[in-house]
Amino acid sequence: MISLQNVSKTYSVRGDSSVLAVRNLTMQVEKGEFVIITGRSGSGKTTLLSLVAGLTWPTSGQVLLDGIEVWRLADKEQSLLRNKKIGFVFQFPSLLPTLTSVENVLLPTMFGDKVKGDRSRDRAVMLLEQVGLNDKLRSYPRQLSGGQQQRVVIARALMNEPQLLLADEPTSDLDELTEHEIMALFRNIHALTGVTVLLVTHSNDLAGYGTRLIRMAGGAITDLDD
Amino acid sequence: MHVIRLAIRNAAGNSFRSWMVFFCAALMAGFVISATLVIRGADDSLRLALERLGADIIVIPEGHERRLESALLMGIPVHCWMPDIIVDEVAALPGVVAVSPQIYLSTLRGAICCSLPELFLIAYDPATDFTIRPWLELNLDAGLALGETVGGSFVYVPAGEDKLLVYGYELDLKANLEPTGTGLDQSLFFTLETAYDIARLSDEYAVKVMDIPPRTVSSVLVKVGRDADVHQVAQLIEAEIPGVTPLETNKLFKDQREQILSLLHSVVALLVITWLLAMALIAVVFSLAVNERRRQMGVMRALGARRGTVLQSVLIEAWLLALSGGLAGIGVSTLAISLFQRAIIAVMNVPFLFPPPLRLAGLSFGALAMALSGVTLAVLVPAVRISLQDPAMSMRE
Repeated sequence: MISLQNVSKTYSVRGDSSVLAVRNLTMQVEKGEFVIITGRSGSGKTTLLSLVAGLTWPTSGQVLLDGIEVWRLADKEQSLLRNKKIGFVFQFPSLLPTLTSVENVLLPTMFGDKVKGDRSRDRAVMLLEQVGLNDKLRSYPRQLSGGQQQRVVIARALMNEPQLLLADEPTSDLDELTEHEIMALFRNIHALTGVTVLLVTHSNDLAGYGTRLIRMAGGAITDLDD
Repeated sequence: MHVIRLAIRNAAGNSFRSWMVFFCAALMAGFVISATLVIRGADDSLRLALERLGADIIVIPEGHERRLESALLMGIPVHCWMPDIIVDEVAALPGVVAVSPQIYLSTLRGAICCSLPELFLIAYDPATDFTIRPWLELNLDAGLALGETVGGSFVYVPAGEDKLLVYGYELDLKANLEPTGTGLDQSLFFTLETAYDIARLSDEYAVKVMDIPPRTVSSVLVKVGRDADVHQVAQLIEAEIPGVTPLETNKLFKDQREQILSLLHSVVALLVITWLLAMALIAVVFSLAVNERRRQMGVMRALGARRGTVLQSVLIEAWLLALSGGLAGIGVSTLAISLFQRAIIAVMNVPFLFPPPLRLAGLSFGALAMALSGVTLAVLVPAVRISLQDPAMSMRE
């Protein structure tokens, strides 16, 4: 499903200096896998996810999603592909503060051409119920705890029935108990839907939740553990 | 969910920022509509007053030029007399196709024999008149008979009475002329016959006699032939008839016109400064807003929003604020100008005519469109910048 061939990514920073975030990386992820990517801060994990989703372009090499180089697509096709095929869970608080839980979950439907109206609202409510937030449908993000906010984000990521779930440090701001609850939720979703999951974390303790572990350091893969 | 709803929520989410843009848009639209209303109102008023006069030249006794302008503009009565032989002398000059005499009078201030104080009275000759007669024929199907009058738009019969009292003489107010915003709005028009009748009976019914010196007129209205040059005819009148001043009507109200022009220059300068400041403020406010929401925009892009959708969401938010602010600014300005018309006339010393509803709607639409354009220009740069940014970078920052 995902194929990276000799991919490098350099970010230019202020002035003439640049940062090599991903270095000559090659990897494959098959459909239905639950891959955990671990590594310290600055090891290139987040950049790897951005490259897979076409949110940034590789400085060199080739990134294919279902055989398509996403970043080469026109903005319209690229956006539509992300909207239809990929669900995102971010490290930072990513809910829109002015929208309720249901509205946040409905957000991806605003950008795509999938079900709209009552059907999409029913699905949003069902997803929020699945993540245990049936009593928080009309709550705003500020009225939710960190763990509850992440559950809403997960529901949002699943709204358009994606084939790929990209999660960037989804438990970094949570306490240990909530962290494991969220990871269990990912595992259940994977088991129930068969969605391909690429989850980035700096915690080695969470490696057991995936079906495969990849360790990164200095922008490169240091260890592949099947 | 729709992008408009998202924009409304975003606008409601930061009240300080939204109020700031709302206020700037209100200021921009309000300033444009106020300036346009006052300047156009003054200009229209002068134009209508000149049209109402209907003459190319007004011949008056020398030295009364300023007072006649005050009478026509502000309704301050003027009294001036010259021999009626001048009517024939002017008519005999080459280039003149029609002449008509008028007599200027006024009601008495604070006298029980006059129901309205300080009213400018204009008596015309129905046999030769070419200024008010066309209006009368069009609106009343006939001229005015003895004891009948038409008034400016501000003239009314006092409550509980059915006639106007002038020097104890009962006048039947047949109709009111359309407003001009000038002194003509507080003037009464009747025939010379009525004027002489009032004067004759004032000895008996009024607290003071209305004096019309025999064989005199106050002014002669002159219509010039199509082939003749108005200025040359005026020069000829001045040269041939001593003791009179021919006023070319297209040069009347020169001071007021210059005042309007100077006002226009000041307003345009002020308008430019206000707009630039307001636009700069909106640009800063939206740059801050966009920076603040950089991650949010990145998230939207990651969820499948196109660049155009991100741009749209920022622009729609700005338009909603500009629209509501603009409408509020236009509403408040229009209401204020409508309520304080008299004060505007007094302070600026120029006549003023509030536009009819259709024109007001057009001007409001124009002001709103200008405010929307201004806000769009101010917001465009930050909106385009954020929509073009690499989503991964947006989320990292």
